[in-house]
Amino acid sequence: MAEPAATAAVATATPGAVAPLCEMEHVSHVFTLPSGQKLEVLDDVSLAVKPGEVVALLGPSGCGKSTILRILAGLIQPTRGTVRYRGTALDGLAPGVAIVFQSFALFPWMTVTENVQAVLHAARLPEEEVARRASDAIRMVGLAGFEEAYPRELSGGMKQRVGMARALSLRPEVLFMDEPFSQVDALTAEALRAELLDIWAVRETNPSSILLVSHDIKEVAYMADRIVVLGANPGKVQTIVENTLPRPRDYRSREVLALVDRLHDLITGHELPDVPAAAAVAVTEVLPDAPASEIVGLLEYLDARDGKEDVFRIAAETNREFGHLLTLVKAAEMLDLVDTPKRLAVLTPEGRAFVRADPEDRKGVWKKKLLELRIFSDVRDALQEEPSHRLPRDFVLETIVLRMPAEDYERVFATWIGWARYGDLFAYDEDEGVVALQ
Amino acid sequence: MTWLWQRAWGEATAFLRRSRGISLADLVVLAALGGIAFAVGRVAGGWTGELRPVVEIDTSPWALPGYTLLSLSRGLAAYVLSLLFTLVYGYWAAKDHRAERVLIPLLDVLQSVPVLAFMPALLLALVALFPRSNVGLELASILMIFTGQAWNMTFSFYRSVRSVPADQLEVARVYRFTWTERFRWVELPFSVIGLVWNSMMSMAGGWFFLMITEAFVLGDKDFRLPGLGSYMSVAVARGDVGAMAWAVLAMTIMIVALDQLLWRPVVVWSQKFRLEEGGQTEAAESWFLELLRRSRILAASGALAARLGAALRRRASAPRPEAPARTEPAAVQRVLSALLLAGLVLLLVLGALQLVALLRVVPARSWGLTAGAALLTLGRVLVATALGTLWALPAGLAIGLSPRLSRALQPVVQVVASFPAPMLFPAALAVMARLGMGLGAGSVVLMLLGTQWYILFNVVAGAMAVPADLREAARSYRIRGLALFRQLLFPAVLPYLVTGWVTAAGGAWNASIVSEYVTFRGQGLSTFGLGSQISAAAEKADFPLLAGSVVVMSAMVVLFNRLVWRPLNDLAEHRYSLLR
Repeated sequence: MAEPAATAAVATATPGAVAPLCEMEHVSHVFTLPSGQKLEVLDDVSLAVKPGEVVALLGPSGCGKSTILRILAGLIQPTRGTVRYRGTALDGLAPGVAIVFQSFALFPWMTVTENVQAVLHAARLPEEEVARRASDAIRMVGLAGFEEAYPRELSGGMKQRVGMARALSLRPEVLFMDEPFSQVDALTAEALRAELLDIWAVRETNPSSILLVSHDIKEVAYMADRIVVLGANPGKVQTIVENTLPRPRDYRSREVLALVDRLHDLITGHELPDVPAAAAVAVTEVLPDAPASEIVGLLEYLDARDGKEDVFRIAAETNREFGHLLTLVKAAEMLDLVDTPKRLAVLTPEGRAFVRADPEDRKGVWKKKLLELRIFSDVRDALQEEPSHRLPRDFVLETIVLRMPAEDYERVFATWIGWARYGDLFAYDEDEGVVALQ
Repeated sequence: MTWLWQRAWGEATAFLRRSRGISLADLVVLAALGGIAFAVGRVAGGWTGELRPVVEIDTSPWALPGYTLLSLSRGLAAYVLSLLFTLVYGYWAAKDHRAERVLIPLLDVLQSVPVLAFMPALLLALVALFPRSNVGLELASILMIFTGQAWNMTFSFYRSVRSVPADQLEVARVYRFTWTERFRWVELPFSVIGLVWNSMMSMAGGWFFLMITEAFVLGDKDFRLPGLGSYMSVAVARGDVGAMAWAVLAMTIMIVALDQLLWRPVVVWSQKFRLEEGGQTEAAESWFLELLRRSRILAASGALAARLGAALRRRASAPRPEAPARTEPAAVQRVLSALLLAGLVLLLVLGALQLVALLRVVPARSWGLTAGAALLTLGRVLVATALGTLWALPAGLAIGLSPRLSRALQPVVQVVASFPAPMLFPAALAVMARLGMGLGAGSVVLMLLGTQWYILFNVVAGAMAVPADLREAARSYRIRGLALFRQLLFPAVLPYLVTGWVTAAGGAWNASIVSEYVTFRGQGLSTFGLGSQISAAAEKADFPLLAGSVVVMSAMVVLFNRLVWRPLNDLAEHRYSLLR
C-alpha cells in the first residue's frame, strides 16, 4: 500500500519547490438543493497550502470559501477535480487536519477539559497522554483556571479559545479555521489573532500551516502569507496576492494599510466593474440579496456625505461585513440609484431625488425603477393579463428559475417580494401563496 | 481480572481510612439500598413461583405495600425495556433513510393501537412459552405496560437524533469519532432533555391500564398477578369501598415518591444537557438529588467507578500505540441494516396476511355496528376534549401567568396528571349514580378524568412562556379581558394547546376502552361504543371482532391525526410560534 503513495508524492514534487501539504486542482462543485435544483458553488478552483505558511481565502459571502475548506479537509467530496494531502489523493478525511469552527461547535454538556479530551480519546491516545495534552492545550490558549467550566459560562472569545485548544491539542500539521473570529468581539479577535500567530511561529511544533477562511480584509492582511481572492456565483479564484510583509505585523502600519487598500481595489474591481450598469444588468440580472430598507439606508448615508463615499469606509464606519455592503451597493446600482466609479459609491441624480422625496414619492420612484427590471415587469404584465389580477407564487418562482437558473430561487423570491412590497407594486398573501397586483 | 479486584479493594480501604464520620445522608442511602435488596428478593420470589392463573388477592391494607412494590417493579422493568427499544429503534430510524420510510409510519400506527389490542396475542404466546411458571404472565404484563410507554419516547429520540446541529456532527467527523463515541458524546446527550420529559409522560401513561394489565379476563380464563392493579380490581369487583380507598392512597404515594425520588433528580441532572441558557430561567431543584450529592458513600463509589473505568481504558488503549486508519465498516452496517429491514417487512407482511384472514370471518353486520360505534365514540372523544378545554384553558392561563401560582401548582398538576384515572372511576360512578346519569354520557366524564390534565399541563407551560414584553405591551395599551385573550393569550398558547389536544384526544380513545365498559358495585355496566366493543370482544375471546374493532380504532386515530391535528399543528407552529 505504501508504494503507490510514495511514487505519487515524488511525481508531484517539482525540483526546487516545496511539496504542498494540501492542494486541490481544477475542483468544481455543485450542490443539489432539497428541491432538486442544482447550485454551482465552485468553478475550476486550484490552490495549495505549503508547509510553514498561512494561507487565507478571502471573498464575499456566497463565494464558496467554506466549501473549499471542507473539500480540502475531506468532509465534502467535490463533483469534479482532484484533492491531495501530502501528494496522496484524498480518500476520506485529510490525516493531518484539525478545524476551528465559526460557531465554535463545542459540546455544551462537556466541560472545557472534557471537550478537549473527547477528541484526544477519539484519536486513541493513551490515557496519560490525553490528560497531559489537554491541560497543555488549555494552558496554551490561556484558559488555565477554566478547566471545569461549561461552555455556557464562557464568553464568545473564550469559547473560541476552547475551540482552538481542541484543535491544537491534536498537534495538526494544518490548522483549518472557518471564519474563526467573526462571532467574537473586535478587541478579543485582535488578541486571539496575535496569540495564534505566536503559537504558529514556533517552528519546531505543529501546526506547520494555517488555512484561514475570512471576509475581513484587515484580518487577512495581518495574518496571511498568501491571500487567495475569490469571486462569487459560482466561486472561483480571482487573484492570488503574496504578502511578504515582515512579522510581527502591526494593523496600523503603513505597509499593512497599503495592502488593505490594494485588496480593496482588487475586490471592487471584480465585484463592481466600471461598465455602464444597465448593460451589465441586461445580461445577468441577478437580484442581489439585499433588503430594500438597507438599500434605502445606504442612500441616506451617502446623501449625508455629499452623495459619495469610499465603499470600504462605509463598511468600516457602519460596521458591516464588507461583502454584505458590496451586495447593497450592487443592488442600488442595479436600480440606477448609485454609480460606482472605482472604489466610490456615488448617488445618481435619481438616487438623490429619491432620498430627498417624501415617503409617497419614494415609492413612486422605487416602483418605476423596479419595472425597468424584466423580473418585475414580466410578472406585472402577466398579472395584468390575468382577469383576477392574482397569480400563484409558483408562477413567480418559475420566472425566477428561468431568468437566473444558478440562483437559490427561494432566497431570490424573498428578496423579490421584499422589493415589490416596498414599492407597493405587488401584494403577497403568504398563507395562500398568492401574488396580486396592488 | 485480579488486578481489577485488587485495585477496587485498595480504593475502598483507602476511602474507609479517609472518612471518619458517616453523615445522615449516608444512613438514608444505606437504608434505601437495603430496601431495594429486599424488594428485589421479593419480586424474584413472585416470578419463579408456580403458575397460578388466579392469585388470591388479600384485600387487607397490610398487603398493599408489597403489592405496590410488585407493581412498581413491573412499571420500572417495562420502562427499561421501553428505553432500550427507544434507543435501538429510534436510532435506526434516524440513521437509515431506507428503514426510516418503514419504521416511522409503523411507529405512528403502533402509537394509535390501543394497549388492550396487544393483550390476547401476548398473553397466549407467553403463557404457552412458559407453561410451568409465572414468568409468562409476568412478561405479558410487563410487555403490555411497555406498549403504553414506548412509542412517544421513541418519537422524541428519533426527532432529537435527526436534529443534532450540523456543526457538532462535523466535529465528530473531523475528529474521527467512532459511531459509539458519536452516540455517547453527541447524539445521546443532545437527546437527553427530550427523553427525560417523555420518560415522565410514559411512566404515567404506563400506569393508566394497570388494573387491566394485572388482572385480565380472556374468554373463560381469568388471569391475575399480585399487584396494586389487581388489588384495586378485586376491591372494585367486591364493592369494597375501604380497600379501594387504600389502593388509591397507595397509588398516590407511589406516584409522589417516583416524582420526588426519581424524576425530580433526573430533571435537575438533565439541565446540564441544555444547549444554551434561556427559556426557563428558574433553576429546577431537587432535595433528593442534593441528598445524594451530599452522601459520601455515593461520592466515593462514583469516584471509585471513575478510577476503575480510567484504569480499564488505560489497559484497553495501551496495546494500541498507533491508531490505524479506522474507517467505519459502512458496508457491513448497510448489509446488516438491509437484512434487518427485510426481516421486519416480512414480519409485517405475514402479520397483515394473518390479520386479513382474521378479519374475513367478521360478518358484514358487525362491520356496520362497528362503524356506528366508532362514530359514537369519536363524538365522545371530541366532547371530552372540548369540555376539558373549557375549564383547563382559563385555569391553565390563570396558573401559568401568575408566577406564584405556577410555582406552587405546576408540580402538583404534574403528579395529578400521572395518576391513573381508572382508579378514580368507582368514585366518579358513585357520584353519577347519585345524580342519575347514565353511562352513555357518563363515559364522557370518565374520559375527561383521564385526559383533561394533558390540556391543563400544556396550557400552563404555554402561559408561562408568554414573553414578558408582550404582556407589558398589552398592559401599557390597556388591552384587557376578552380582547387580551383574543389578541395575545390565545394565539400565544395555541401551539401548546394543540399539543395538549393531540395528547388528550389520543388518551381519550384509549380511555374509551375502560370508560364505556365498567364494573360498578360488583356489576358490569356498558354502553354502545367502540371502546366497549373492544372490551367485550376481549373478554369473550372473540378475536375476529377484537381485531376488527382495533383496526377501525387505529385507523380513526391515524386519520384524525393526519387530517385534523397535523394541519392544526402546522398552522400553530407557522403562525403563532413565538420561537421564531
